[in-house]
Amino acid sequence: MNLVSERSQAGEPGLLRRPRTLDLVGLVARLLLGGVMLVAGLLKVAKPEVSARAVQAYQILPFDLATYVGYGLPILEVLLGALLVLGLFTRTAAAIAGVLLVAFIIGIASAWARGISIDCGCFGQGGTIDPSQTRYLEEILRDVGLVLCAAWLVTRPRTAYSLERTLFA
Amino acid sequence: MASKTSDRRAKIEAATPKSRGGANRIVVATVVAVLAIAAIVAGVIIADQNKKSDLSKGGSSLPVGASAMGVGLVANPSAPANVPTLDIWADFQCPACKQFEDAFGNQVNEMAQNNQLRLRVHMLSFLDKNLNNDSSNRSANAAFCAADQDAFLPYFRGLYAIQPAQEGKGYTDAQLRQVAEASGINGAGVDRWQKCYDARDHNQYVESVQTQSAKDGVNSTPTIKLNGKPLQLQGLTPQTFAAQVKAATQ
Repeated sequence: MNLVSERSQAGEPGLLRRPRTLDLVGLVARLLLGGVMLVAGLLKVAKPEVSARAVQAYQILPFDLATYVGYGLPILEVLLGALLVLGLFTRTAAAIAGVLLVAFIIGIASAWARGISIDCGCFGQGGTIDPSQTRYLEEILRDVGLVLCAAWLVTRPRTAYSLERTLFA
Repeated sequence: MASKTSDRRAKIEAATPKSRGGANRIVVATVVAVLAIAAIVAGVIIADQNKKSDLSKGGSSLPVGASAMGVGLVANPSAPANVPTLDIWADFQCPACKQFEDAFGNQVNEMAQNNQLRLRVHMLSFLDKNLNNDSSNRSANAAFCAADQDAFLPYFRGLYAIQPAQEGKGYTDAQLRQVAEASGINGAGVDRWQKCYDARDHNQYVESVQTQSAKDGVNSTPTIKLNGKPLQLQGLTPQTFAAQVKAATQ
């Protein structure tokens, strides 16, 4: 009878590759991505017209479509943020958040390339600002960091302290 | 032997995902997805309805000096064709607009009076949504009621002169009336101004200018354009401003 576990036979995996460590890394990724999404959404959700103006200011989407996207985006961000913070449907939520963030990066890069001076409108505000006040690189780097969090969670959605582990046990 | 069997059973049980007792993943996923879509659709519809109701409030008459919905009000229609057009997009609650008015108001006013430029003002009201009040909309309405009595510029300047130091404090109805009275409107004119203001006779025009400006990509104030070309405000002095106007004059 093989009472010796396979793990002991193969030797303990390195600290950095232990499932528990990876779960904790996932937790950090989940809270970072979810936390930022949730805060960004909450800051905008009560002011749909401000959000609509921020999307219009990119001058990418047709005006009316930009308006509707502006109305809906904060709600989507709040929902995705909540799911990620709770750890419910982590992989799906992270995948959608990742797609959104890539779209944001393209939008910011496009505004930068076209020489439009706008605030990204990520956390409310938005619209034209003085060229000296634009922070395109900073905004893009922040979103790239969040895309990495999303990529981690899509690849390895198992995280510590997630609601889905408790709920679907 | 018996202990080994139960040992194995315990292991198998531990390894099998416990489906009993846990929630059904598909059911929960469906509920969450349906609720999420409903929340987004409802949010978009409510925001859209609110916007549409804002757009249809008040009267639809154009103030004197405005040629069409969405088009800025020309403060000096007698300006000859060879002088450049100075377009100003401003919001009465915008502190930077007050700064521009404090620095260049006299000069712009004088140049408009002397028909050295055609002054076209686009009164915006978007700061209401940022500041959670309605002072930009009310004050724009008030200024256009003054325009009907040939007092737009005095009203415009008079209101910036009393802009509260704290952004978001806004203007009271009484303040808006006092500025009308101080703009050369008197006697029966004050009553006419008040009637126009109370009925928001020009509200749909106010909203149309806001919408058109957003469509034109103007989403911050003050935005100043000379013959359609954005004027760089940083480093602008009365001298450089006058030189640019002169250069744009045919």
